[in-house]
Parts: sequence; C-alpha cells; structure tokens
Amino acid sequence: MSTDVTVETLGGERMKLNMGPHHPATHGVLRLMVETDGEIVAKAVPDHGFLHRSIEKIGECVEWPMFVPYTDRIDYVCAMNANLAYCVAVEKLLNTDPATAVQVPLRAECIRIIVAELNRISSHLVAVGAMSMDLGAYTPFLHGIAQRETVNDIFEKLCGQRLTYNFVTIGGVAFDLHKGAEAEITAFLDAFEKEMIRFNKLITANTIFRDRCAGVAAISAADAVAYGLVGPNLRGSGVDWDIRRDEPYGIYDRLAVRVPVGQGFAGRNGRVGDCYDRFVVRLLEINESVRLVREALKMLPAPVEKKTDATGGYQADVAKQLRKPPKGEVRVRTEAPRGEMGYVIVSDGSKTPYRVRCRTGSFTACSIFQKLMRGIFMADIVTVIGSFDIVVPEIDR
Amino acid sequence: MEFGPAVNTIATWISGPDPSWWAVGIGLVAVWVIPVLAIVFPVAAVGQIIERKVAAAMQRRHGPNTVGMDGILRLVVRLAFFFLPRAAQDRIQARITALPGVGWTLGLLQRSGLGQLAADGVKMIGKEDIVPAGTDGLVFRAAPYLALVGAFLPFAAIPFAQNLVALEVPVGALYVVAASGFTVVGLLMAGWGSGNKFSLLGGMRAVAQVVSYEIPVGLAIAGVVLWCGTMDLHQIVAHQYNGQWYSFLGWNIFQSPFLALLACLLFFAGLAECQRTPFDMAEAESELVSGFNTEYSGLRWGMFAMAEYSEMILVGALVSTLFLGGYQSPIGEPWIMSLPGWLETIIHAGILLVKFTLGVVLMVWIRWTLPRFRVDQVMRLCWLTLVPLCLLSLFGLALTMLLGGLAGGVHTGPAYGRIPGMQHINLDALGWLVTWVVPVGFAAVLVAVARRRHGQMHPALKQLTGGA
Repeated sequence: MSTDVTVETLGGERMKLNMGPHHPATHGVLRLMVETDGEIVAKAVPDHGFLHRSIEKIGECVEWPMFVPYTDRIDYVCAMNANLAYCVAVEKLLNTDPATAVQVPLRAECIRIIVAELNRISSHLVAVGAMSMDLGAYTPFLHGIAQRETVNDIFEKLCGQRLTYNFVTIGGVAFDLHKGAEAEITAFLDAFEKEMIRFNKLITANTIFRDRCAGVAAISAADAVAYGLVGPNLRGSGVDWDIRRDEPYGIYDRLAVRVPVGQGFAGRNGRVGDCYDRFVVRLLEINESVRLVREALKMLPAPVEKKTDATGGYQADVAKQLRKPPKGEVRVRTEAPRGEMGYVIVSDGSKTPYRVRCRTGSFTACSIFQKLMRGIFMADIVTVIGSFDIVVPEIDR
Repeated sequence: MEFGPAVNTIATWISGPDPSWWAVGIGLVAVWVIPVLAIVFPVAAVGQIIERKVAAAMQRRHGPNTVGMDGILRLVVRLAFFFLPRAAQDRIQARITALPGVGWTLGLLQRSGLGQLAADGVKMIGKEDIVPAGTDGLVFRAAPYLALVGAFLPFAAIPFAQNLVALEVPVGALYVVAASGFTVVGLLMAGWGSGNKFSLLGGMRAVAQVVSYEIPVGLAIAGVVLWCGTMDLHQIVAHQYNGQWYSFLGWNIFQSPFLALLACLLFFAGLAECQRTPFDMAEAESELVSGFNTEYSGLRWGMFAMAEYSEMILVGALVSTLFLGGYQSPIGEPWIMSLPGWLETIIHAGILLVKFTLGVVLMVWIRWTLPRFRVDQVMRLCWLTLVPLCLLSLFGLALTMLLGGLAGGVHTGPAYGRIPGMQHINLDALGWLVTWVVPVGFAAVLVAVARRRHGQMHPALKQLTGGA
C-alpha cells in the first residue's frame, strides 16, 4: 500500500507517530503511520505486508488437497472456516462436470456446520475480548479466552490440533466425531450461555465501555458497502447481508440463519455503525451460532461403518476426481467470522490449481481506516482497530 | 512549625532539653522515615503481590505461585555454607526442606506468591539500568527520584498513631495535597526526558489529569476542614471520636450524607491522582505502551512502581484519616489507651494499615473490573461531574451545619462550641430528618429520574445480559 506521509506533507506542529508493527493494540504486525495534533489524530495510514507469505502463489504449486493446511494459516483464529471456504470452492469446481461430481455426506455437512459455528464463537470471543483489552479491561479478555480454550479442547479431541486444524477436507471432514462429542458440545454450550451473560454484564453493559465506543467511527450503510466491508463490520452498519442466509453453501439453507444488524445499540450517544454496534453484533452472532450448533446437532445422522456413505459417512471419495478435475473457473463466497471469505479458483485440468485467489475481510476493512481515523482521539485508534477485528495474516496472506 | 512529640523526644534525647536545629532535624527524619520504611514501603512492595493475586482470583487463574521460596532457601544455604562444596550445600538444602513442617511452610509461602516478591526485587536491582540514546540524560535519570519523593513526602503529616507523626503542622491537610503534587513533576520529566513520543504523550496526559483532579481532592478535603474546623490532621482524627464503644459511628463518613459523598469523591479523585484504571491515561498500555515509563528499566522503573503503590496507600490513608477515624479503632479507644505506649503505637499504626490496605484492595478490584476512560472523558468527568458534586456537597454541608445550629445544636460542629474531642452526637428526630432523610431522599429521586430518562437499555442488550 502506498504511503503519502512524507516530511514535506507534515505541516505546522503535527507529530508523526509510528504505531506498530510491534504495538500491543495493532493485533499482530500491522503498522499505522499516524500524524497527530496533540491528542487528535490528523491522519493515519495503514502499512501492511509484514506478514506476507505468498500463500496464493503456494496454491499454484501444491496439489488440490495439499493446499488445505495453508488455508489454516490464512486465518488461524478461525481455521475451520478457512478450511471450509477452500473446500466448498473445490467441490463446486468438481461439480461443474457430472463426471467428477462429488456428494458430500450429510453427516459431514452437519459436522462442518458444527465446527464452523464453534470456531465462529471462539473467533468472536477473541475479537470482543481483545477489543475490551484494548480499552483497558483485561479481565473480560481472559474470561473469553477461557471459553475459547474449551472449544479448542473439543477440537483437539476431534482432530488433534488446537489452532490450525486441517480438519475440513475436500469431500467431507478428516475424522468422524469422537465418542461422546455431542454430549461434550452440548455441555459446553449450556455452560457457555451462562458464561456469556456474565461476560456481557461485566463489559458490554459497562457504562465506561459503552461511552468509549458510542458514536466513535460510525460508518453509514452506503459507506460500508462502498468500501467493501464484509461480515460483522458490514452488518454493524445496519446492512442486512449474510452469505449463510443469502447465498447459502453447505446445508445452511436448511437452518434458517437469523442475522443481527447494528441498530445504534449504545443508545443516547450511539449511532448506527459505530464501534459499539460492531462489538454488539459479534456478541449477537455468538448467540446465533450457539443456536445453529444445536440445530446441526439435532440434524446429525447416525454414523455408519462406511465412511463414504451419502448419509452417515463423513468423507466422500474424491482422490480420483482431484487428479483430473474439470477445467474452468469458480467463485465461492462463504461467511467466515471476519466476513466474506471468497475463493476464485482457476483450474487447467491438472492436479494442481492454475490460480487460487483468496479474498478476506480484514484487508478491505483496512481500506476504510484512513477515512475513519481523522479527527478522532489517539485512544480511539485502538477502539477502531479492535472493533474491526483485524487478523493480520488474513490481510497479508 | 510544630513537630510531633516523638520528634521532640528524640531531639531532646540527642542534644539536651533545648535541642539544636540539627537534632530536631534528625528527630524529624527518624519519625518520618520509620513509618514510611516500616509500614508504607513494605505494603507498597506487597501491593504488587496483592495486585497480582486479586487479579488472578478475578480471572480464575492462580497468579504467582511458582517462583521464589526454593531459590531464596538455596541462596541462604549458599551464603551460610559457602565453604562447603556445591554437592554438600545441595544435600543440606534437601535436608532442610525435608524437615517436618519446613517443606509445607515453604510450599504455602510459594503458593502465596510472597517468594515472587523477593525474586522480583532481586531481579529489578540486578537489571541493567538502560539510558537510551536520545534521552535528556539528567532529566531522565532524576525523574524517578522526584516521583518517589512526591509519593513519600506526604506521609510526614499523616498521623499513624498518637505519637507517630513527624510534622504536626496546623495545615496538615494542605501540606499533604501540596507535597503529593511533587509526583507530577517526576512524571512530566520522565515523559519529556525519555525522548519517546509515546512517553511524551503519557507525561502530558499525566500533568493535565493530575493537576485537574487536585481541584476535587482539595474541595473534598475542604469539606472535612469545614466540618471539623481545623486543618490539623491529628485534630481531625481526634474530632471523630465519640467516646463510646461503638466509636465508628463518630467517624466523619457517618456524620452527614454530604461527608459520605465527599469521601467517595475523594477516593475517586485520588484514584485519578495515582493514575490507576479507569484513569490510567498516562500509562495506557494498549495505546501508549506504558506511556511515561516505557523507556525505564531496572530500579528506575521499580521506583515508579513504588511511587504508584505508595500513592495508592496515601489515598487510602488520607480517606481513612479524614473520614474513617484515622488510626482509631471502630470499637472504642480505652482498651488501647490503657496499654503501654509502644504497644499503643503499634496497634494504632496497625489499624490504619488495615484501613488503607482495604482501600488499596478496593483500587485493585476496580482496576481489574473497569475499562479505561478516554482523555476527554476524564476531563469532562472531573470538571463537569466531580467538581460540581464537591461544590454541592460543600454547600449542603454548610447548610446542614447552619440549620443544625438554628435547630438548637442538632449538630455539635466546632462552630457551636465543640472542641475537637470527646463528645457524643445525639440526633433527635428533627436532626435525623434534616441530616439524613431529606438529602438522601432528594438524591434518590434525582437518581431515579436520571435513570428513567437516560438509563434505557436497548432490548438486544437486555437479552445479552440475561433479560432483567
């Protein structure tokens, strides 16, 4: 990204300040070049690229299924959703030709919903926890992380990993649910709902917190669409759009997803699309995800011996199709916790992709930083970054 | 200027019945340093452990529970048996740990985190004192000392016991406020001298905030001065004694709702004075990366930490002295006064210690519960909320005293012939009405109206917080 802060453009008494790349509030290695007039921010320009790992180029060099572990690294806070997006895209590519069509077993689809929504919960917990920590409240962060650890425990039993799962595969999932997983997940959800009420009493309903976020960096619905915001950042501005409901993939069309949107939750000082709306929308989405996991658990068919079974299996056999996939280009959009995670996949019929292009939510969120971070307080910079739930590897890839 | 009796005793003991100025000086320093070294300093050091343990309890983790006692024992053994070979030293250490009770005690101390305290102290002293390039050398180096001086000076006028007060100045309350103002110079110097923009912002924030919050602190103290008719902290303490076994009812905080309000205001303004969350604008870890002390390391950083905890103690001690009976026990004084002098001093100092430690724990609790204000909100809170509330309380207090006088001595304030000391306040029905029922009822109505008008929560938030 080009940066136009130079010595020449610095006028008068302004102070140039580098926030990051190792600043505690920039959530990783994002750098903001800030010009301040005392406490007021005159200009802030994000500077990325510190974490670029050429993942899209790697996609052109590895075979179709071998790219799945790399998707973990695109967004390690919600690796299940990142796996899922790529796998849905490849399945769509295979389905363009009846000869290579793949039928994902229903049980696998349910498991995908369960893990994706659980991971959405744990990802949003990081988002709201880190934002409250940016605003000086450390305790809610650790309470959120404690819940995320429980989700990680479940995932560890499921696939042996706590962060980068490599669990969702092309044609299904890598492993069936372990014994007693349903009861474990239900028990977690029951405890979790009570825990979230305590969390919300501690931080969400806190007057200081609300006043810190209310009316800060409000984005109009038109601006949110124009700048390409996605996910909770878009819905925070009151735009009623969710891929899970409006362009469903997997079996989301059977689940009736309810989509919370920002309504100026902060009350008197709040505006639709301010930092508080984005924060609260995430919390409402957590509740919705809890419901979706319960629904998916109800729909879960009984397991059968044969793993490729269309109902009770968990992994369709795709090895042959992936050696010779159909030629062509597919686009898929999925709803990850940080918004739409889209894939454009071009295939030349060989066993490696011709091009894998990934579109993520954090990158576009950075585009509106320059517009928002003008005339706000220094302290609001961290509020804004926190409210957008930036995950830097997702920006740079 | 008058000095406490203990100062005079020491001075007389050193240089005869008409002590010379240097003997008085020695006595003054001794009486100031003893409580500071024996009470404030250890509590300020333990404060960090209190902080970490309370935070851990709130966050459902263990806190410091591993480092410490083992290493300290090892150090002691190494020093005591330095002439033996290493292996023999290790065997001695193993024998000591295996003694009945010793291992258990060490384990308890370890889990309590107290070993961490010693380990941290040694670490801090052992660390390199880094003075980064680009700092303003002298200013950078001197800043921690000034902060520490500002934190410790006010304790000279705080009465820890009947005799344990270094400066018995007639304007003690004023002196405390003035002396604690020193700290901000240290913070500003640290912010400027560090040669770091984040530190500079932190230093500037500290100055703006501390200077502003001295107004409500001063006004709150003025309320007590108005009520007690003296600025002498010792006499303010004596004034709060009602001579009964339930002597806590004589404390200023129970005398009038306005005094109770002033006590809260003083506590919160004091919280802002010592830069604690929710007022930790100057440090603001997630914004300014520790602000004014970003560039400090080792012992200099430790001095800032000590200054912070000492200031917390000062706020606790000041609120206790002005509103909570100071060093007096809540259950009458005769049982203490009948003891020998040295025991009386220890018990009184211990009572004050308990009182201000409770204040410190409350501050820690607040810190780990609340998020941080923004700069403009802090200023708005000070000038548009705390200062008007202080003025309102002062007005209400004056009105109460006036009405009390008119009603025939409902209140036995100094203006109506009450010498600081031992009188029990009897409130008749009218007195209760005037003093408590009317102001509290009025405030309750105001709060209810304000809640009805502004406290409407969005339905989605009600659902998130569990209905209600």
